[in-house]
Amino acid sequence: MAVLVIVEFGALWGGIMALPWDTPMGLLTGVLPGAIGGAVAGIASVFADAGAWLADLPTLLSREWIPNQGHRVPGGGWEGTFLGLEPAYAWVIRVAVVYAYAMFTFYWVWRGYMVFRRHYRYADWTPADDMIDRFRGHNWGKFGLVLVMAFVVMAMFAPTISPTTQEQNIMDPYSHNIEYYNDDAGQVMETSVGQANLLSSSKGVQRNFGLWSYDEYDRFHPTGTFTNGKDMFTLTAYGARISLFIGVFASALAGGIALSLALLTAYYKGIVDLATVVASDAFMAMPRLLVLIMLVTVLADHWVANIYSGGFIIAFLFGIWGWMGLWRAVRGPAFQIVENEWVMASKGFGERPWRIVKKHVAPYVIGYLLIYLSMSLGGYIIGAAGLAFLGLGVTAPTPEMGRLIAAGQSLVTTQSWHISIIPGLMISALVLGFNALGDGIRDAIDPKTGGDDAAGEAAAAGGGG
Amino acid sequence: MSRWSYFAKRLVLSIPVILFGTTITFFVIYAGPIDPAYAILGSQATPDKVADIHRQLGMNQPMWEMYFDYIVDMFTFNLGNSWVIRPDLTAYEVIMDFAPRTVLMGAWAVILPLFVGIPLGFYAGLNPNTLGDYTASFGGIIWRAMPNFWLAVLLLLVLSRSEEFLFGFSWESFIYSTPVAGAPDMENIWNFENFLRASKVVIPGAMVLGSASMGNEMRIGRTAFLEARNSNYVEMARAKGLPGRSIVWKHIFRNALIPLVPVITAEAGVLVGGSVLVETVFGINGIGWLFFTAMTSGDLPLAAALMFLFILLLVGLNILQDFLYTIIDPRVGFESN
Repeated sequence: MAVLVIVEFGALWGGIMALPWDTPMGLLTGVLPGAIGGAVAGIASVFADAGAWLADLPTLLSREWIPNQGHRVPGGGWEGTFLGLEPAYAWVIRVAVVYAYAMFTFYWVWRGYMVFRRHYRYADWTPADDMIDRFRGHNWGKFGLVLVMAFVVMAMFAPTISPTTQEQNIMDPYSHNIEYYNDDAGQVMETSVGQANLLSSSKGVQRNFGLWSYDEYDRFHPTGTFTNGKDMFTLTAYGARISLFIGVFASALAGGIALSLALLTAYYKGIVDLATVVASDAFMAMPRLLVLIMLVTVLADHWVANIYSGGFIIAFLFGIWGWMGLWRAVRGPAFQIVENEWVMASKGFGERPWRIVKKHVAPYVIGYLLIYLSMSLGGYIIGAAGLAFLGLGVTAPTPEMGRLIAAGQSLVTTQSWHISIIPGLMISALVLGFNALGDGIRDAIDPKTGGDDAAGEAAAAGGGG
Repeated sequence: MSRWSYFAKRLVLSIPVILFGTTITFFVIYAGPIDPAYAILGSQATPDKVADIHRQLGMNQPMWEMYFDYIVDMFTFNLGNSWVIRPDLTAYEVIMDFAPRTVLMGAWAVILPLFVGIPLGFYAGLNPNTLGDYTASFGGIIWRAMPNFWLAVLLLLVLSRSEEFLFGFSWESFIYSTPVAGAPDMENIWNFENFLRASKVVIPGAMVLGSASMGNEMRIGRTAFLEARNSNYVEMARAKGLPGRSIVWKHIFRNALIPLVPVITAEAGVLVGGSVLVETVFGINGIGWLFFTAMTSGDLPLAAALMFLFILLLVGLNILQDFLYTIIDPRVGFESN
């Protein structure tokens, strides 16, 4: 296990470092008075340097080991690719290796857990064992888990599995050069990536580079090129990164609010409960997508909108406007759990309310919350994509699936149909994965209900784009 | 607590709900980082013009006075002016000009899934674990996972080349010759032919908007039906020797409708939000599109008025839901205490 993580530590850390860490630090130093702020900034910069250094560590699965960005040479054959293979095969091998590594790591963790459970754990049995065993027998849930894991790996290893790099192809194409074989001149020439992109664009009838194609600069595009010649697969891989960030961050925020309110209302009942009902009604009365459109437009020039290319503000607002359905869904179970004798007993023991709900109520509520979180996560991803489709939220050049769909909308009837269809399929698969995972978790946690709480589920998941 | 006093309580509680939403809107629009006067004027902003608009919007008063005026204005439906989109008209007139198209589309978006989703769900619930059940359930799951706006793009693709995709069936010349996308003509809508013509233009959008509710209604309809079918009172009715048709309609159907009520009304929220995207894709200039355009072109007062109307609409639907509950489900009011 340790070996597995160490060989890929750099890549994993790179994924973590891709998150907008500098913002909270910048905010902190801005708020604190000068001397302390400076000290904090100094400490933060040490951490940032350490983080960057860790992210740059050599890793087992780097793209340099199995390069696919080569060019043809006169007289046939390829130069600069892995073993002189065609770039398509080199890329397929690299992706296969990454997924094999991910699968192996997953298997190793699973094996380790099973060994721990059978031989080393003090308790013979815990309730969680039953849940995990039920999930193991739930094919639909496992299918969802596989889909979600596939996307998580794709987002985590986006720099490795994309056929070209984000730096070179998306962010700064005119500062990078590539070599290619010019058929007319019959020799290898050099050009800037930006120039090459201009002539590799997919624009319907006049020019199109569809699925599994090479452009004239010997570059391989597994899912074609974008309207401005950028590589679609690279765009979607990095787009998956920001979509997952938005989904997970918004879910964590909404789930956190919903959980604390559920515990609060279940424990104190009465006026607290009534106030929360009114508050949730009030938030629900404002259509979420329209509020987001309003706030995102109003905050467009604000510094908040620049964090993580606008991804942060979207995720934050989805979280703030997402807790109501979740809270309603877990309110019932929370009320039931508080009625149990053990809660009464710990009250009699004189334990503090915070401790009672944390130790004796929260573990059960979290189980229910996970079901609805998994369902609503898809809604956040779809909602963020919908905003990007309208041209709001995540700003260019950072890729977002919704913006890719919008750009391809007018080309969808031409040869360049892939521009709209591929990101749409990706979102559908990702959301389907989360929904299936939610079904699996629900059946694992509570096999009796088996889906008759679908109304709460719909309320929790509803309101996407 | 009796059923009707429960309902009255819900009615009273909706007042702070509306007030909260309106307050948030006020502070976002008038006290947010963007000054509405600058947004309206854009690049032509001069101090004189800005001061003029500030005076007209009442922004030269203290904040609390302005807030009070704003709330009173909104609650008396004095919605103010449109500044950018139609400077010559009041917000009320502009909204009334755009609203019918959305209302027509929304009506279809509620009706279509009602008559497709619920029967399919009940069919699946009546014949559980058959091929038809699996097909319906699986279709619903896939359908639910697809983003609405992407579905709209796909539907537009299929309809605009319907001869190729639908075996020679031409959507454009089906019944009436209409464009595939675009704004429906809302003149003389009460004439049956015009109504059909306009409906045909908005129905693709309505199908997409209703798609999410259709999947949900199907799933929930299926479980509700299954649950009612396996309940004791149905067994009792069967033991009494009631005919199957009477059991299905009198005992199963009515009880299976209860969990469907919140789904149907909750979809209205999706409808209001989703209409922005669907109207954008299909080029229908309804109020969803109007809100988005007002927001992006700087017509903030109009957007604020629209938001107030949306809030009213959602709260009204919530009250309607409670009302339906009170009628259908005799347990309401008892279980809440």
